[in-house]
This record gives sequence, structure tokens and C-alpha cells, in this order.
Amino acid sequence: MQIQCTWAYRELRFRPTLFPTFSKHLQTSIGCVPTRGGRGTYSFVATMSSVSTQNEVVSTQNTRRPLQIAKRLEKFKTTIFTQMSNLAVKHGAINLGQGFPNFDGPEFVKEAAIQAIRDGKNQYARGYGIPDFNSAIAERFKKDTGLVVDPEKEITVTSGCTEAIAATMLGLINPGDEVILFAPFYDSYEATLSMAGAKIKGITLRPPDFAVPIEELKSTISKNTRAILINTPHNPTGKMFTREELNTIASLCIENDVLVFTDEVYEKLAFEMDHISFASLPGMYERTVTLNSLGKTFSLTGWKIGWAIAPPHLTWGVRQAHAFLTFATSTPMQWAAATALRAPESYYVELKRDYMAKKAILVDGLKAVGFKVFPSSGTYFVVVDHTPFGLPDDIAFCEYLIKEVGVVAIPTSVFYLNPEDGKNLVRFTFCKDEETLRAAVERMKQKLLRN
Amino acid sequence: MEKKLSSVAKSFTASPIQELSHLAQRCNAINLAEGFPDFPAPTHIKDSAIAAINSDFNQYRHVQGICDHLAEMVKKMHGLDINSLTDIAICCGQTEAFAAAVFAIIDKGDEVVLFDPCYETYEGCITMAGGNPVYVALDPPHWTLDPDKLMKSLTGRTKAIVLNSPQNPTGKVFTKDELEIIAEVCRVRNCLAITDEVYEHVTFDNNKHISLASFLGMQERTIITSSLSKTFSVTGWRVGWAIAPAFIASAIRNIHVKITDSAPAPFQEAALTALRSAPEYFESLKKDYESKRDFMIKMLAGIGFKFQFKPEGSFFLFAELPENCALSDVEYVKELIQEAGVVAVPGCGFFHANLLSDKVPKEDCSYHRRYIRFAFCKSDSTLATAAQKLGKLYKSSGMSKDT
Repeated sequence: MQIQCTWAYRELRFRPTLFPTFSKHLQTSIGCVPTRGGRGTYSFVATMSSVSTQNEVVSTQNTRRPLQIAKRLEKFKTTIFTQMSNLAVKHGAINLGQGFPNFDGPEFVKEAAIQAIRDGKNQYARGYGIPDFNSAIAERFKKDTGLVVDPEKEITVTSGCTEAIAATMLGLINPGDEVILFAPFYDSYEATLSMAGAKIKGITLRPPDFAVPIEELKSTISKNTRAILINTPHNPTGKMFTREELNTIASLCIENDVLVFTDEVYEKLAFEMDHISFASLPGMYERTVTLNSLGKTFSLTGWKIGWAIAPPHLTWGVRQAHAFLTFATSTPMQWAAATALRAPESYYVELKRDYMAKKAILVDGLKAVGFKVFPSSGTYFVVVDHTPFGLPDDIAFCEYLIKEVGVVAIPTSVFYLNPEDGKNLVRFTFCKDEETLRAAVERMKQKLLRN
Repeated sequence: MEKKLSSVAKSFTASPIQELSHLAQRCNAINLAEGFPDFPAPTHIKDSAIAAINSDFNQYRHVQGICDHLAEMVKKMHGLDINSLTDIAICCGQTEAFAAAVFAIIDKGDEVVLFDPCYETYEGCITMAGGNPVYVALDPPHWTLDPDKLMKSLTGRTKAIVLNSPQNPTGKVFTKDELEIIAEVCRVRNCLAITDEVYEHVTFDNNKHISLASFLGMQERTIITSSLSKTFSVTGWRVGWAIAPAFIASAIRNIHVKITDSAPAPFQEAALTALRSAPEYFESLKKDYESKRDFMIKMLAGIGFKFQFKPEGSFFLFAELPENCALSDVEYVKELIQEAGVVAVPGCGFFHANLLSDKVPKEDCSYHRRYIRFAFCKSDSTLATAAQKLGKLYKSSGMSKDT
């Protein structure tokens, strides 16, 4: 029903202010909007109600209804990473929380970016990626999986894998579509799925080996499932999906005609077994979107270079959403990324070797301190059970760890649909130089006492 | 598997601007279509980015200094008091700032008013967020805002108005009176406003860019979006921002974090240098673009184009086809590419039919096919070459484009 507005312009100036008391009522009702909030997370609603008092004082005009934030934002809060990082800085804690290195990327990649800037490659790149970078991605994908893809039709470059995920969700998921997620999961999956209006069905992976509960998966997946999201190697647990698990998922997807989105950003940090790219399984390429990025493999997380590989009909959807999210990706970095992806095998061998040494320092250290450490096959993360230290839950433990011990870990409850599932677990990262890792272990050995 | 696309993605078509660019590339044509410079970015800014890469500013970061500088600049330009800690979100270009802003405030069924002709991307964002774009036609030849048209477009579902000024494609700079009309509507109807001010520093002839947010009662309901791209000729760096009241900025930041997480780190560092540029930089930016504009107008007028309206800002010219030209804008552009080796954008892509306007009398839309957008953000030598080629075409074909 449209309300035809027939006021002449002049009349608008003299419209009386309306319902000043009404807005007070709305203020309280804003405060009552239920939030998904967990302990230790700030709700945007709290921010809103404190500011609307200000608005009421400042505004001389009416507030017939409050200036509304979209309903989808109930899932969006300040991230736990930022909160922990801020707390870490305040207490001078060693940050083994947020997953970015404290060492820099390789010189040859940085040089390539600098050269690109000097060569004037500073204007808009082609929306879905510069031709040379798309080609380099295709070349690398062929080396890694044996699959031959068309760089022009099957690859989309995005601002980090985060944007590839967002573009995939928004381009391929309809409101009301069912999507299966394995918890714990990287926090942007849930958020972007809710932006797309999806119905999320979570399947929880449990310690000690975080194996896929096959029976639960079989009963959850159905003809109504639109897509399933797989992250392997897996953040936060370090689990790598086995060939058996992937094959089971594959046959269920064929049976029920389900799409698969795989986040493979840690594929080069596969330590205990070989990484299997889901798209390479028989019959899977045509229904799979493979997501990846530069940041983790080349220690350049701030460059924001990611990509999606998918058959043309799926790529099209990803590209449409991408065009409206960011339009194009940073040009000089794409040139550098093409150089990076053409790195010789020795780069990847050395990368693995370095990370395995770091992992040993951390894992041995955590075990010695008294954590129950779960085996991590890939990524630069490891999750541990903190309960030997007598704190009630993961957030309390992490706060204690920062304030009393001077080390940062990430509480894993934020990675679950049901925060309760994660309350015994915290995540450490070893993407730090060895000195930092040893210092962190030392602090924990000295100050973290079992209860 | 086509049914696997979301219904929203299916409704989108490929960008006509990019398609023409591809044709231009194949014909080796001079590209006066896409809006990015072919001259180098300022050296001091490039050096700053290079230094950042060398200094290991390559991991995820948020450079607070950008917010501090922006708060200063906005205070200076528009008299607005911005809290640099709470009111600003740094994004991957104005594109992402706008997308995040739309996702922050638009719910399914919300209506968003846009002024036509219009940059093609706004609609896509609004539709993706479940909103409905409603177009208010600006009146040719001067692209003036008709208050009645604006009033008639408003309904109980109008959530926001999008304002792009200086405007792409027309080069219009909204006047103080027009901005006051829009502000009044926002205040009375309790609407939000999203502004796209990317061309804020490219204005001519003493036209001053005034931000809608600086009007009475507007700061609390306006999201300003802008970027480094056009001001500093670095369209490929993807550093932009949204400035809004704290609770909206916070929502935008939270969404941005889920869409891309952060803008490229080294370019955030370089942004500090850029935003600290001396007043002389902005002065010469205006002067240079103004002289390019004048050159283009002279050149195009010389081959019969009409200019009842001279662009007041941005680096676009919305030229009206010669009166006696029987061709449509698309046909003319194709000829320009093939015969003269110069590419521009047919204006029809910027005009929209208003899907919700059953109650509004059908307007005469024939002018939708009478305009061509030329970009003059090109080096003087590029523009000179373009002039040469166009001049030749005109001479060789005589009056062949007439009926």
C-alpha cells in the first residue's frame, strides 16, 4: 500500500514536532531487542540506546520512529578478535590470538608490489581480476589439483577470502535457503549467511579428533539443502577433512543436489596429511566454489587478495555480488600476487618446514604447561582444553590468561552456533616468530598454575 | 544449474561500461569511457605506499590516523564535529562503504530514493539488501531537482535518500537550495541519507561542494561515503570510508569486517600521506580538471555536441547529441569507436524507468537516448589525440550523421 504524498513543499517547513514522549518509549524498546550476545561480547544494541539519548537531546525535530538499523544486524557485533587484541595491548600480553604473523611476507612478493606501484598500476583492475593474476591462479590450481579451469570464466578475484565468502553467499544463496555449517567455524560464515537470509543448520565437530558425525550429517542434509560449507584445513581446530569424510559428503551432495563452498585458505599449511581439494573429487567441480587467498600462504594478511574458483554458472553469481560489494580488487597487489603464486615449490616446502618447527615449540610448550592439546593436522592453529586450570569458561580463561599471565588466546565459544559447545576450548596460533612463541610458553610455565 | 543462482544475482546484467571498454581495447580506441586517470598518481603518495610495504605494514590493520585526518578535513570543509574514534569506518573503497551502509540500514521492502540519471552500482547494492530503488528524474537540460517529483516519490516505506554530488554522470553539483529541499524531506519524513562524495575535491567555477550532512538536523541521519580514488588518482588502491553517527558507523564497521575485514594495509598508510596533502594539491587538482573540461567542451562543441549544461564538478561530461543527429546514443558511441577510435559511454545506461511509478504520469523519456558521457580524467596528450581523431571523423564524414 503506497501512501501518496501530496504535501506542497511550503507546508513541510511548518510541520509541528511529533510525539517527543513516544521516542522515550521507543528507546526502552530498543534496549529490549534480544541479542545473540555471549559473555564478553559487546552488543550493538547497548551502543544504540546510549546514543539515542544524545540524539533526543540534540534533535529539535520529531522522532516519529527511531532511526533503524537493519534487522540483519542482530548477528553482527564487534569481533572477539578486536576485543582480545585491545585487551592484549593494554596488558602488554603476547598475542597468540589473532591469526596473523608477526613476521613479514617474502621480499620477492613485496618487491613485485612496489614495482607495480612504480609502473603506474594504480587504477581500477578488471572487476573479476587482472588477466595475469587469474592465469596464475589457474596455473597453481592445476598444479595442486590437476583441474584445468578457464581463468576468464571460472575465477573471480576478491578483497581477501573474506570477500569471496561474502560474494558467494550473497550471489548464490536465497533468503530461506538451508545451508549446513560445521561448528566451530570462522565467524564471517554465520554473519554473511544471515545477510543472505539463509537458514543455518549447524553440525558440531567434537574433540578429540573433530571427526564429521556422519549419521548426523545424513539426517541433516536433505533435498532442501542448498549448500554445505567446508573449511579444510579447519580454523580453529586444525582438523583436515579426510578423503573418506569428503567422499561421504560428495555422495550426499549428489544425492540431494547440494552446492559445496570450500574455504581452503590454509591448504599450504597441511602438516600431518595431504590437503584434498573438494572440487577435485569425481563429479564435484560442477557444484563447488573453491575459496582461497594469498594472505596465509605468503604472510601478507593485510593485502586482501583472495579468489573464488567455480564453474561458469556459479562464478556468474559470485561476480555479480562482488561487483556491488567492492567492484574491483587492489591492483598493485594483484600483480604481486601473480608473482607469488608462481613461486617455486621450494617456497612451499620451506614454509611448511618453518611452521612445523613453530608448531613443535608451541604444542610441546602447551603440553608441558598442563593443557590438554588436541592434535592439529593443518593451519597455524591449535585448540586446547583449558579446564585443568579451573576457570569456569573459555572467555574467563582468556581474560585471566591476558591479565595474569600476559598471553592472548581466543575463546572458541564465538565459533559455535551454541556457545556452550566451546566453553572448554581455547585457540592458540603459532604464526609468530620462534622467540615470541618461546617467550609465551615461558610466561605460561611460570604463571599458569593448575588448579 | 542456473537455478542455483540467487534470485537477486539472476536479475543483474553485466556492466555496459565494462563491455564497451573491452570493445575499445579490441579496437585500440582512446578510452574516454571509464572513469579513471591514465596519468600517474602523485609521487609522494606512491612513495608512501612503497615505504609502508618495505616497513612491513603488510598484516591486517586499522589505521586510526586516517580517521583523525578525516575528522579534521570534514570539520574544515563542512563545519561538522566528527568523533574519529566512533564515527568512521575505513572500507575497501567507497564501493564497499556504500554497500556496508546499505546493508546496515536497509531491510526487505525499504524504499530508497535515487536521483536519475544515476551511477549504476547503487541500485545493485540496494536490491541485494532487499530494498527497492525509487528514481526521481532530474530535469534536463540543467538536471535541476523538481521538489514535486521528489515529494511524489515518497511513501511510508521510504527509508533513505541517496545523494551523489558532484554527480556522475552529469557533473552536476547540487545547489544549496536543492540540498535544503532534500534535507527538509529527510527531517520531516525521518529518513536517512547516504551520500557519495567521491568527487568532493573536483569542482569548478567557484562551485563549492557542500555536504548534505552539514544541514540542520542532517548529521544525525546522514552516512557520508567517499574515498581516496578520485582525489588522489589511485582508483586501484581501494581505500574509502563511511562517516556516520556512532551507532550507524559501528554497524557499518561490523558489516565491513564480515565483508572484507579490512582495507589494504599499505594503502591505509599511504592514505595518511595523501590526506595530509597541502592545500596547493587540491587547488591544482581543481585547476587541472577544469582546464581539461574546457578543452573537452570546446572539442566536442566543435563537432556538433550541445552543451546547455557545463559540468560543475566530477570529471565527466554529459554531452547532448547534435540536434539533427538521428542516431541513438548507443549507435553514436559505436560509430565513435569504429570510425574515430574514441570510446565514450551511451547515457541510456544511467537512466532508469521507475518501476513503482504507476501513479506518476508517463514522462517523455526520449531524452534518455540523447546523451553520451565522456570522461576527461585523462592526460593532456590523450585528450589532444582524441581531439585530433574526432576532428578527422567530422571532416571526413561531412554531415553524414544528419537525417
